[in-house]
Amino acid sequence: MVDYILNLTLIEITAYALQFLLIFIAVAIVVHKNNGTIIILIASFSLVTASLYIINNAPDVAIAEVAIGSAIIPLIYVISISRQREFIVLDKAMDDFIISDNQMTGIGFILLKRFSDFYHLEINITNDPMLGKVESGRDQVLLEETNVDLIVTKDPDHEGGYLLKGKASSLLLNKLETMLDDYDNVRMIKYKDRDIGE
Amino acid sequence: MSRRLFLIAMLGVLFVVFTLSMIELESLYNNYGMRYFLNEGFDDTGSRNLVTAILLDYRLFDSLFEAGILLIAVSGVIWISKHDVEEKNAQFMLDKYKTPDLFVTFSRLVYPLMLAFGFYVIINGHVSPGGGFQGGAIVATAILILYYIDGNKETNIGLIVTIEKIIYLLIILLASLSFFTRGEFFTNFFVPSANPDLKAIYLVLLNVFIGFKVALGLWTIFTAFLKEGR
Repeated sequence: MVDYILNLTLIEITAYALQFLLIFIAVAIVVHKNNGTIIILIASFSLVTASLYIINNAPDVAIAEVAIGSAIIPLIYVISISRQREFIVLDKAMDDFIISDNQMTGIGFILLKRFSDFYHLEINITNDPMLGKVESGRDQVLLEETNVDLIVTKDPDHEGGYLLKGKASSLLLNKLETMLDDYDNVRMIKYKDRDIGE
Repeated sequence: MSRRLFLIAMLGVLFVVFTLSMIELESLYNNYGMRYFLNEGFDDTGSRNLVTAILLDYRLFDSLFEAGILLIAVSGVIWISKHDVEEKNAQFMLDKYKTPDLFVTFSRLVYPLMLAFGFYVIINGHVSPGGGFQGGAIVATAILILYYIDGNKETNIGLIVTIEKIIYLLIILLASLSFFTRGEFFTNFFVPSANPDLKAIYLVLLNVFIGFKVALGLWTIFTAFLKEGR
């Protein structure tokens, strides 16, 4: 055993070290909680595997492993995770419901913050002038045709009240509706999905 | 806790069995195949890279179905992420998630190099490591970088998939040409006594077709992913 270890060549020692590294990376992928770190770890796992293929004289497989495992798959993960994590709110009320004293400290914002923290979403509030000008009758179309998840407007029937408009197909909004019980002047409207051409 | 300990013990047993069977296998190793391919491979197929020789000549039947698997996977991804309603993107979103300028500039520099390297790997598949599949994946990565440079890029998925299907049919036709010259399907269409350098033409053609097919397939997959979240 000792003789075997002493007679190892440099390449063999590297190969063993890389194999142990693979085990560590695999455990780290399972243990880690942060998605960004996990993606980097997956990419590095592929890189280490590719170098092991090179050591074992399989350059063809190594090229495929590098191209697929450490370029395309991490990029696809990055795209999908960054798209799924954000919750976009269109602020059409434009008063201190969300932004008060030029800071995001209005009661509406605190409500949405609680909601988004519950689901670990990244909340993204916008008051895009193009979309903000759309008349309230077309809010349903706005929800369907853009990537806006929720619209905040003033309540026309109720002085000082606010309306939250969302799609009924978004199950996350059920939680938001139960949270609204504490707020007297905020109501929720959920639009059912229409069929195409209706 | 006991369940976990049991699992760990099971894993240990599996590990021991695996290492034992590895030692057993060593008595089965022989190098007849290796010697045959080393001696005859170049004259038979015209390929200096013996992996390509096996993939595109000796075992072409298997490779055709491997290429077909990607086609089926692409169809599956498209079917799952099908959107009947044309979705528009709110312009303002791209400002917040705009790619950093440094990354854009760097991508513009790297993009042509990646594309050239991909084509190099495809065309030299019969001489150096690589081939249609690897080169196609590199070309697809290069195209993916384009989406980081310009986030509003529009792609016609239907057209890409149609081209991919046509190229797959061309691959099968090219592989079947040998029936008229050699009398058997799925091998080189030059006669066995032909010059190895001449036989390489067939390998280059097949590699180019497979490379384009793989690049288009992967392009479709990540275009579907890009559209999905928006």
